[in-house]
Amino acid sequence: MYKIVIDRSLCSGFGSCAELAPEIFEVDAGGLASLRVGTTGDPAVLEAASACPMAAITVVEEEAA
Amino acid sequence: MTHDPTFWLLARASGLTAYVLITASVLAGLVVKSRPFGRAVKAADSVDAHRTLALLGLGMLALHGVALTLDSTLHMPTAGLAVPGLSPYRPASVALGVVACELAALLVVSFPLRRRIGMRAWRRIHWASYLIFAMATAHGIAAGTDSTQPWARGLYLGAVGAVAFATAWRALIRPTHTPAPERST
Repeated sequence: MYKIVIDRSLCSGFGSCAELAPEIFEVDAGGLASLRVGTTGDPAVLEAASACPMAAITVVEEEAA
Repeated sequence: MTHDPTFWLLARASGLTAYVLITASVLAGLVVKSRPFGRAVKAADSVDAHRTLALLGLGMLALHGVALTLDSTLHMPTAGLAVPGLSPYRPASVALGVVACELAALLVVSFPLRRRIGMRAWRRIHWASYLIFAMATAHGIAAGTDSTQPWARGLYLGAVGAVAFATAWRALIRPTHTPAPERST
């Protein structure tokens, strides 16, 4: 499982994360990325973190309980 | 008394170098979202390259302006660096360069102010990059005294072709999810 954290002070609303992993990320009314889920097993989250132009997404891999 | 060509050579070299840096900055900016290199290049690294190239380009433009005012070939007044149309040499072509430079400086300044401006508005402002590139190209071709040289024509053609290609890529090819690398654990 991957735990996801968005640093919204860095996010500039490019929306790359929501394009690559729409089940995990969305762009809110303020134009910034927000999370639909706190953790996911979908490796698309790694792609989304790599695609963030502001490096605002941190993904931590957690051992499954 | 012989004419010292130092500042004249510096003005031409810095102008062409600024054009190359601005072109590279535009290309790096296009790479940020189109991500043609996939996971091999992090988008954040593309942003760093984009911003660094833009700042270097602006610095080179400052050198271009200073060298032109210090040179005795064109008699460029200092005010002509900021006010379009004051250049005694090809005023319209030089004005394109002056306005392009001022717009480029505005874009650079807008980055740290993007939260105040609003993210969506800030990204909309960034569309001016295309106008800046077009004006810089027209300025270089029309005002540059090396423009008739085959290498200069090749430079402008290559820059316009590269930006057109990267723009088409950005518009037509959406970044796709690439499979995560195999893990042994």
